[in-house]
Amino acid sequence: MKQYITRRILILIPELFAITFIAFIFYSLMGDPFAELRANPFINQSYVQYLEKAYGFDKPVIVRYFFWLSQILRGNFGISAVTGEKVIDLIKRAMPITLSINIFTFTFSLVVGVIIGFFTALRQRSFIDNFFTVLSYIGLAMPTFWFALMLMILFSVKFHWLPPGGFMTPGMENAPFFARFLDRLKYIVMPFIVLGFGGLTGWVRYTRSSVLEMLKKDYVRTARAKGLPESVVLRKHVFRNSLNPIVTLFFLSFPGFFSGSAIVEQIFSIPGMGSLVIGAVMNNDYMVAMASLVFYSTVLVLSLLIADIAYVFLDPRVKFS
Amino acid sequence: MQEIEIQEIEKKKEASTYFKKVIERLKKDKLAMVSLFFLILIFLFVIVGPIVYRVDPNQIKLNEVLQPPSRLHPLGTDENGRDELARLMYGGRISLLISFAVTFITGLIGAFIGIFAAYKKGFVDLTLMRINEIMMTIPEFPILVVAAKIRIVPSSILKLIIILVIFGWVGIARIVRGEALSVVEEQYVEAAKAIGASDMRIIFKHILPNTFHILIVWSTLRLGGVILSEASLSFFGLGVQPPTASWGNMLINAQTYIWNAQWLVFIPGFMIFITVLLFNFVGDGLRNAMDPKFFR
Repeated sequence: MKQYITRRILILIPELFAITFIAFIFYSLMGDPFAELRANPFINQSYVQYLEKAYGFDKPVIVRYFFWLSQILRGNFGISAVTGEKVIDLIKRAMPITLSINIFTFTFSLVVGVIIGFFTALRQRSFIDNFFTVLSYIGLAMPTFWFALMLMILFSVKFHWLPPGGFMTPGMENAPFFARFLDRLKYIVMPFIVLGFGGLTGWVRYTRSSVLEMLKKDYVRTARAKGLPESVVLRKHVFRNSLNPIVTLFFLSFPGFFSGSAIVEQIFSIPGMGSLVIGAVMNNDYMVAMASLVFYSTVLVLSLLIADIAYVFLDPRVKFS
Repeated sequence: MQEIEIQEIEKKKEASTYFKKVIERLKKDKLAMVSLFFLILIFLFVIVGPIVYRVDPNQIKLNEVLQPPSRLHPLGTDENGRDELARLMYGGRISLLISFAVTFITGLIGAFIGIFAAYKKGFVDLTLMRINEIMMTIPEFPILVVAAKIRIVPSSILKLIIILVIFGWVGIARIVRGEALSVVEEQYVEAAKAIGASDMRIIFKHILPNTFHILIVWSTLRLGGVILSEASLSFFGLGVQPPTASWGNMLINAQTYIWNAQWLVFIPGFMIFITVLLFNFVGDGLRNAMDPKFFR
């Protein structure tokens, strides 16, 4: 067990190395991050040259990569080429916004989705089951973008109930806590519906099929045959076992937690992580883009690792290999 | 030699009755059949539609911008006064074309890699699967946003197809490899090897047909997925470039007009939604028909 985990963690190092290397080469094709500064007549060209040198832009991309890597390993994520702010500060500002939306949405859709999935599996082909089956088909086929825009048309354009985007009414920064909370809530409703709907139908689908799988197992039949009360059979034999794939999926969907849905953030103009990355790429701000990529892929590989380990823990039949 | 032939013939006979059974089962699936019918209607709409409804989708009329649906323009006009119905038909052609091209190429490449890995085993298998894993851990979204900015190939449609194939083969390669692992152990593969058939012949003539049912189901479900991807990639500027219409870029362009031209948002999005939904229904029907285990 220990050996397996150690080996898996050691594999992460070359893996992250490969990912950042490929991404770095790829990002270097993005364009000149200093183009804007160079075009600005009020900026001394020697300053631009100084910046180029400081970032290693006078050297080939491979050399630049190792330069960048050594900086990252020392915890220096660099400075945004556009605003001049520290990259780490930009991430510190965007992250809580993405998290505040995602924690709320994710927890809700997971808990409610698993409960609904469990009960619809027990009442297969009932009205409620059919209802959620249809809903999950709709969730799968609906373009996120369209859903968000339709909500906006309904709530903002037709009824004027909710603001069409943003994250806070200007001037609310210093309002009392409760007023600020209510203000936040108004902005969060639509992203919550869009993200939550997709998440909820997904969890319902996974849980339902997992429970149906368990209900067919021999040990469930045995448990019933030996006269266990149905509630015990369901709770101890069916529900617990059907949670295994759900836990794995939970960890696999974990990275999305931090990255934020770029589409939803863009549509509702929420200044979270997704918007940060898009903005950085649009402005050739490759320090910001690379830093968020490093952050994101680290979370991704760690989640995959945890998912694998959790899988082994939950199902003792799985052998380490 | 003869025994191999007999085996092959039996296999073929089995296959033909198998597909007959599949079609029979599929015919009983009402939802799948109705979906198939409506899908065909959508195909007719985009393929035959422009022949009947002869309006230039790219003709700009600045005195007819953002008109709501009327007799002259059944679905209204967009911000450049272009006829929305005509654009919907031509856009559908592009969207469906991309969807079929991507699915076909991805399926072919993914299946080949999956089978090749399972057939060669050992080092080749290990290497291909490692590459596969690295592809899975590369965060897709930031790469896509950057790809949108770089000029790789002159045509935006070609670029879109290439990108979707690069990120798409991973899943199906895994699935096919899993299935092929058991197929390569079959006697007829061994027999083919024994009579000196080339690797490519074994892969294409013996293993591929036996993983075909997986590919068909995967493709049907993937067709809808690609249409959705095209729409979201349009959002990041990676989609089909104007003036060529696609359902994706029509929807994305419309977001500016949610205040005064809601039909421009609703129509392309609805077409995407309904087409993907129908593909999924047919795909699920096919899966149930091909694998009786799914009948619960």
